[in-house]
Amino acid sequence: MDEIRKEISNLEQSAERLKALAKDNKAIQKNAEIILTFLYILKFITPTGE
Amino acid sequence: MADFWNAYTETLPREKLQNIEFSYFKNLFSYGKSHSNLYKEKLQGIEVGDIKTFDDIKKVPFTYKEELRKWQEDVEPFPYGGLLGVDIEQVSSFRQTSGTTGRPVYVPESYESWQWRIESWCHILYMAGFRPRHRVFLPFGYNVYVAFWEAHYAAEKLGCEVVPGGALDTKGRVNKIVELKANAMTGTPTYCLNIAQEAVSMGIDPKSLGIERILGAGEPLPEATRKRIEATYDCKMFDHIGSTETCGFAGMCEAQQGLHIVEPFFLVELLDKDTLSKEVAEGELGVIVITPLGRRSFPVIRFNTNDVAIKGPSTCECGRTSMKLMEIVGRVDDISKIRGVLFSPKTVEQLIRSEFPEIVEYELVVTREDIMDKITLRMEADPKIGKDEAEEVAKRLAERHKIKTNLSCKVTIEPPGALPRYDLKAKRFKDMRGKH
Repeated sequence: MDEIRKEISNLEQSAERLKALAKDNKAIQKNAEIILTFLYILKFITPTGE
Repeated sequence: MADFWNAYTETLPREKLQNIEFSYFKNLFSYGKSHSNLYKEKLQGIEVGDIKTFDDIKKVPFTYKEELRKWQEDVEPFPYGGLLGVDIEQVSSFRQTSGTTGRPVYVPESYESWQWRIESWCHILYMAGFRPRHRVFLPFGYNVYVAFWEAHYAAEKLGCEVVPGGALDTKGRVNKIVELKANAMTGTPTYCLNIAQEAVSMGIDPKSLGIERILGAGEPLPEATRKRIEATYDCKMFDHIGSTETCGFAGMCEAQQGLHIVEPFFLVELLDKDTLSKEVAEGELGVIVITPLGRRSFPVIRFNTNDVAIKGPSTCECGRTSMKLMEIVGRVDDISKIRGVLFSPKTVEQLIRSEFPEIVEYELVVTREDIMDKITLRMEADPKIGKDEAEEVAKRLAERHKIKTNLSCKVTIEPPGALPRYDLKAKRFKDMRGKH
């Protein structure tokens, strides 16, 4: 599960970066936001429990 | 070994689940306090630092439906008022409660909150055996109410094929099931029985429809009703529980023994009815208090549902470790006193569904004449049985009702089609005392 959490974190950084890179493109921005929505869920369903 | 939608969270040890829920609760508490006007005011004087142990959660006041209404009436931003937990421009869908008990509550869902809700619902459908091979028929015209939207999106997410069955009458729905060979369905128990009855009247045996799985929604599903529907369709039927405010929060697995709470999406407390301060023990009756732990567009903290359930174990032959609700007894308000005797309409439904297959529809009416409460049980018999047999059924029903409830009642036989049919929440119990 640690590796999965690490990958989710990497994806989050990528999606944030994508959003920043596409400041003038609403379509890319919105799709990056949607990726971030699912990353919120992925983090929610992979808690550490400590 | 059962298979799971989320093999990780669904099999976590209880202690870990509790730690996660405690941590999520504190996050939501802080979030609500800083983003929702309702909780900014309601939680004044209590800080997240005051919640040091799991038991400290009980220091946080309950949220009641009436408060949700109050915080919405004439409060900006329209129409969500003080309940909104995100910027209004983030709201992507509108839902509302049915308004059965008063002014409806308008529920804002952001894209994130809706997807969170759908993820939680995927657990319910997966537990009920819905899989990508299923063509799921949803026999309802879904609209401003949340009913069936969750099922639609969650079934899609699981990989099922969804057939929206709105804008058709019952006959049209039977035809569509036949035409498309739909093999799974969700529906209110009442409406599932109505569809079967309609199929029979069209000369179609409901068993031949090929429905393998049904998920019940919107009404209590007593064991006898579940078994009757299973026998009618030759299928497996599963139950779940939820509401617009709380989301669907528990569902039935293949073992069909109680409902698993979808943890850690929800913190569900079952509190003793009298003091609402102690968690009840396994096998005891408790009031359900719920906190959806990841929904931010409409934060709801310790929502007192007024529903009563029997607490079950946290073990199950399916391998899930979530807490179970063994039986949803009904709403606190549904359990009324008639002639000094506690009465639950669910007892009568259980009786009719288990012992009286000849009765296709019924209605319970309680009236007061002078100082005496009177129960009238209006029954509609299967048109295939004759007048004499219907009268014998009515007599037997009156006797069994007296034994089961300790209350006598008058049974009347109504002509076919006289009683209302429901496709969403059936209202078979009418307490008319004090209304004339």
